[in-house]
Amino acid sequence: MSAHEPGLMAPVVDTSTVNRSFGTRVSDAMSGGFRVFPVVIALIAIWLIFYSQNPAYLSPENLGNLSLQIVTTAMLALGVIFVLIVGEIDLSGAALGAVCATLSAQVAVNMGQPIWIALAAGILAGMAIAGLEALIIIFGVPSLITTLGGMTAMLGLLLVVLPEEFSISLGGNPYEQIAATQIPASLSIVLAIVASIIYAVGRWAAQRRSISDVSMMRRAVFPSVVVAVVVIGVVTVVSDSSGLALPVALLILMLVVASYFLTQTRYGSHLFAVGGSRQAAARAGIPVGRMIFFSFLILGACAALAGIVEASRLLMVSPSSGTGSLMLDAIAAAVVGGTSLFGGRGTAWAALLGALVIGSINNGVELLGLSTEVQNFATAGVLILAVAIDVILTRGRLLPRRL
Amino acid sequence: MADLVTITGLTKFYGGVRALSHVDLNLNRGEVVALVGDNGAGKSTLVKLLAGTERADAGEIRVDGSVVKMESSRSAVALGIHTVYQDLSLCDNLDAVRNLFLGQEEISGIWTGRRLRRADMEAETHRILGSLSVKLRSLNTPVGRLSGGQRQGIAICRALVTNPKLVLLDEPTAALGITQRAEVLALIRRLKDQNCGVMVISHDLRDVQAVADRVVVLRLGEKVAEFSAGQYTSQDLVGAITGAHETAAGGAA
Repeated sequence: MSAHEPGLMAPVVDTSTVNRSFGTRVSDAMSGGFRVFPVVIALIAIWLIFYSQNPAYLSPENLGNLSLQIVTTAMLALGVIFVLIVGEIDLSGAALGAVCATLSAQVAVNMGQPIWIALAAGILAGMAIAGLEALIIIFGVPSLITTLGGMTAMLGLLLVVLPEEFSISLGGNPYEQIAATQIPASLSIVLAIVASIIYAVGRWAAQRRSISDVSMMRRAVFPSVVVAVVVIGVVTVVSDSSGLALPVALLILMLVVASYFLTQTRYGSHLFAVGGSRQAAARAGIPVGRMIFFSFLILGACAALAGIVEASRLLMVSPSSGTGSLMLDAIAAAVVGGTSLFGGRGTAWAALLGALVIGSINNGVELLGLSTEVQNFATAGVLILAVAIDVILTRGRLLPRRL
Repeated sequence: MADLVTITGLTKFYGGVRALSHVDLNLNRGEVVALVGDNGAGKSTLVKLLAGTERADAGEIRVDGSVVKMESSRSAVALGIHTVYQDLSLCDNLDAVRNLFLGQEEISGIWTGRRLRRADMEAETHRILGSLSVKLRSLNTPVGRLSGGQRQGIAICRALVTNPKLVLLDEPTAALGITQRAEVLALIRRLKDQNCGVMVISHDLRDVQAVADRVVVLRLGEKVAEFSAGQYTSQDLVGAITGAHETAAGGAA
C-alpha cells in the first residue's frame, strides 16, 4: 500500500496516487491488510483499562467466561456479515434464533427425539424462514423493512411455538450438553496447533506461484505466525481452567469455514461483487438474486445455532428469548469488526473481533460493578467510531468533499 | 478477407417508435469502426442488439459468415462479442484480478477444495494488462481507488480474458481528462493491433477522427453515411450527423 514500495509495474499514468494527502494515505492503508489494526488496538486498550482497574479481568477464568459470553453474539454476527456483504441488513436474526431454539427444544424435550434431529430441525427452520425473508427482499421490499417486520413476526411466532406454560426447561435433557461440554485442554491445544499448521500450509500454497507485488513474507509468513500465536495462545488461555467449551470450538470452526468460503471460493467472490455493484455483477453473469437468497440462508443457519447455544446456556426457552440486546450487539459487532454497512466489504473474522470488543466492554463493566449507562455509552462510542472509520474508507478520504 | 460481423437490414421497434431501421453494417478484424450520431440516432439500440441485451425485430446478424441468434449477453460473449459499457460495470470494492475474472473465475479441482486459482489469474491479469500497456501500482488495490483511465483500461482488459473477436466500446472517453483520454485512444489502437474488431460509440468527433478507420453515421435510426479514414472532413461528419447536407455523404444513404 505504501508509495515507497517497489511495485511490480511502474506507475506511468497513475495520477490517482500522485500527491496523496495524509487522509488518503491513511484510508489507503486501512482498506488493505491494516484494516484490523484499529480494532485490535481498541481491543487492547479496553483490556488494559479494565485490567488496570481489576487484575482479575485478564485471569483465565474471566477470559473463559468472556469467550462463552461472546459466542452467541459472534455466531449471529457472522450471519449478519454475510447479509451485509451483499448489501442488505438483517434485524430479525435474534428473534429467529429464539424461534429455532424453541422448535428444537420442542423436538428434543416434548417429542423426545434424539438431539441431532432436534438440532437439524432448528437449523432447517432457520434457513427456511430466512429464505422466505430473502424472497420478499428480492421481490423488492427493502431488507430493513422486511426484517423489521420479520422480527415482529418472529416474536409472535415464538408465542405460537412455545407450549401453553410459555417456557421449556432444558435441564436434564441432552440439549444442555451443547453448552456444558468441555473439550479437554490438551486435546484443544493439539487441535489449535493442527489448525495453525493447516492455515500456514494453505497460505503458502496460495502464494507460492503468485506474481503479486506483495511479498511471500507479508502474504504468507506474517499472517501465519500471527494466526498461530493468536489461535494457540487464545485456546491455551481459555481452556486453562476447565477445557475448551464446545460452543467456542463450534464458533471457531464456523469462522474458519466461513473465512475459507469468502476468500478462497468463487461464490465468496460473487457475494462481494453483488455487494459492490449489482449491475456489474449481473452483467458478468452472476445470479444476483440467488446470491442474496444464499446469504440469507447462511444467516438463518447462524441465527439458529446462536439461538440454540443461548438456550442451552440458559437451560430454557421463554417469550423473552431473543428480545435482549443480542441483535443490536451482533450488528454492532459485525460493523466494529470491519464489515461495511454499504456492502461489499468484510471478513468472517470481523464477527469474532467485533464480538470481543463489545463483549469485553460488557464483561468489564459487570466485573467492576459499574452502572449500565457506562456500558451503554462505551458501546455506543465504539460503534459510532467504527462506522466513522467505515465512512472514511468508503469515500476514500478523511474529510467530506466540499459541496 | 471475410467479414467478422455482417449486419443486414437490422430493425428494432420500441412500441410504435422505430429506433433502428434497415441498418446494414460490416465489421472486420483489426479495424476500428466508429459509430456516431446525435441523441436518439439509434447508436445505443445497435449496441444493445450486438451485446445481446435486446432482440432485433427484423434483420440478421452474421458472425464469421453464419447467422446467429442473440439471446442474452452471455450468448454474445460466447460468440466473441464483448461490450464495455459506459459506466464500465466494474465492482469498485474488488481488485483488478477479481474484476477481470468476475463471473469467469478459474478454480482448482475438487480434491484441492475448488479454490480460486489466484496465482494463475494474477499471472493472466498481468499478461493482459501488459499487452495493452495498462499500468497499475498493484494488482491488489480495489479498482475504486484507481484513476478513470486505469479503470477504463481494466474494463477493456476484462473483455480480453475471453479472447473476443469484437469489442464494443460505449463512450470510452466520455468522463476522462486529456491525458487519460490519450491513454484510452492508445488502448483502442493496441486492441486493433491484436487483430480484434473494435466498434467505438462516441460523441466526441476528435476521438473518432483520431482512431477510426471507418466512421458510420446514424441519424433517426437509419445509416446515413459511411466514411473511410482520411476521406472526410469534420464538416462532412457534422453535416451527416445533423442532416444538413446529406448529398455530401460518401457512403450508402
